[in-house]
Amino acid sequence: MLRGPEARLRLITVVLIAALLPIMGQLVRLQILEHSQYQTEAEALVQRQYALPESPWGVIMDRNGDLLVGNMPVYDVGAEINMITDTQMAAAVLAPLLNLPEEELRQTLTAPEDTQELIWRPLTRHIPSESARKIQALNWGWITLSPAWERYYAEGSLASHTLGFVNAEGMGYGVQAFQLRFLRGEQIARVGAVSSDTSPMPDELMEGNLIPYPGTDLCLTLDRTIQAYVEGVLDQAMVEYKATGGTILVMDPHTGAILAVASRPHYEPYRYPEYTQNGQDTLFTDPAVSIAYEPGSVLKVVSVAAALDSGRVDLNWSYNDTGQLEYGGVVIRNSSGTAYGRQDLQGILDNSLNVGAATLSTQVMGAELFYQYIRAFGFGQTTGIEVTGEASGLVHLPTDWDWSDSYLATNPFGQGIAVTPLQLATAVSAIANDGVMMQPHIVAERRYPDGRTVSIPSNELGQPISAETARLVAELMARSVETTAKAAQVPGYRVAGKSGTAQIPTTGGYDPQQVIVSYVGFGPLPDPQIVIVVKIDRPDVPVSMRWGTQIAAPVFQEVMARLFTLLGIPPSNLRAGP
Amino acid sequence: MSVVWQKKTHGVLRRQEKAQRLVAKLLLGVVITTSLLAATYLTLVASNVHTARQVWDMEHQIVAAQRDNEALKTEIARLSSIPVLQERSVALDYQPAETIDYLYPGVP
Repeated sequence: MLRGPEARLRLITVVLIAALLPIMGQLVRLQILEHSQYQTEAEALVQRQYALPESPWGVIMDRNGDLLVGNMPVYDVGAEINMITDTQMAAAVLAPLLNLPEEELRQTLTAPEDTQELIWRPLTRHIPSESARKIQALNWGWITLSPAWERYYAEGSLASHTLGFVNAEGMGYGVQAFQLRFLRGEQIARVGAVSSDTSPMPDELMEGNLIPYPGTDLCLTLDRTIQAYVEGVLDQAMVEYKATGGTILVMDPHTGAILAVASRPHYEPYRYPEYTQNGQDTLFTDPAVSIAYEPGSVLKVVSVAAALDSGRVDLNWSYNDTGQLEYGGVVIRNSSGTAYGRQDLQGILDNSLNVGAATLSTQVMGAELFYQYIRAFGFGQTTGIEVTGEASGLVHLPTDWDWSDSYLATNPFGQGIAVTPLQLATAVSAIANDGVMMQPHIVAERRYPDGRTVSIPSNELGQPISAETARLVAELMARSVETTAKAAQVPGYRVAGKSGTAQIPTTGGYDPQQVIVSYVGFGPLPDPQIVIVVKIDRPDVPVSMRWGTQIAAPVFQEVMARLFTLLGIPPSNLRAGP
Repeated sequence: MSVVWQKKTHGVLRRQEKAQRLVAKLLLGVVITTSLLAATYLTLVASNVHTARQVWDMEHQIVAAQRDNEALKTEIARLSSIPVLQERSVALDYQPAETIDYLYPGVP
């Protein structure tokens, strides 16, 4: 029995201390000795990797700022199917909103009977905002709506090959695939404390804001008005000449800027999964950039330019055209099959003389000099344009294992050599631009999300010929239009051009029926503002009509005349002054 | 008379009591100060969380506005796309211009 208050106080103190000691001990153990272990466990419970909302990609505009490719806000829909009370009713309500068959949706929404775990199932992807709002209004806790983006092609299939697309794996075509690292917004994923609905806790704001960082916008050199016009003309030509394909390319020779490039057949970029599913992937390849063909006589302008620039010939040079020339085991004949007698450089272009072109390469220049110019004009090499899958074409050189002497005789008039329409336009632009060959480009400007704007400068690819030679060849081409290719003439303007009618190589020879007709030219002289390449594949018209001058030249003329109007280029007599 | 009482009455414990009161006051002061600091801390933390929540909400609003903005951009692009403009032009009876007639001002 304790006596007195002091003894009782002591007893109480001892009891309290005894009671506190284990608590203190536990605190020391938890807070100090095993602190790190418990901290790790606690972090593992609440810390998760979380991603910020998907950021929008950079948009693509034409040179006037008109939107070509934008971002459409859409939603991905999912459901925690264990939480659904009336599956039948839910399927009936959601089916029209999700554009899914009701029965299929009902099966998706039905949870297995013997499971206790929470099951989440994706229902559909990329529903429009309008449908998402209607679903939100239903106020069903088990349905999840995740914001996402979908590429929106404002002009439908316009410039589809150039714009291209990128699939979910980051692979694709066109400028979008080539510039993916700029276009794609930064997808930010962090590790931090998250709430029960896996959204980051407010403390995470200390780490930085949670606003998605968009991609870089691209401003292209394309002009959508010119592009739409050119595509319309190409479609019309395809129908009129019953062609299987075609390309029209418009380029500024002073800068290398591509103003329009249209090819057929084409596709609608937003429907690319359907094309892939149907095995139509070949549609994605851009014939203007990625498919080389034997250009035929349009290459004669390059041969004439090379011969003139080499100094081996001048405007007074002439040769005797006997209608055929044997070289390297092949006999070269003029397309008309006739002899033209004494001919000069103008005659070679006016009459499109294969024998004359072969004479220049085999007897005037020789292989080394001729191919030096062919390379200088960029054939057999990619131009470096900002789209995927650019082809380099095919140029056989004397050092190649498969070289044949006959190439030297056939290449100057565009046989046995393969080029892309883009290469052809680039080479001819050198003639239009005082001998300076500009690198073709499609991206004019990058606009970064922080407000910075970077203009992409024009690059010189080189100067294959002198300014004087370029002016002489341009004059020869212009005279050729004025005398023999009147279908390419534009009233009030001086234009220069050359037609081509190329046979299509097959195994062991050339297709006896089919041809590719083309026309390449520029104008207005003396200061050309645009270069145009027109190529029409396999026109199904009477044989007598299957010539570049009869099919491609009128198309060239139509496009050139309208572009002078669209670009506000006054007629030659007005530009020259009173 | 007990020893304790004697100490109290004879002033020995009075000094102890004085000292204990001082200690008690100090402890009380410490407790009050700690409570005030704790209350201030809790208020700041609560305020911080509240502000963070507001910022969070605003950032969500910005994201929503960003999506609305993109939707509007696409809608403007759709309405000003070439096929739509062509339809509207035809409806308004416009005709495509084939050529441009240039007027050359004479030099006086």
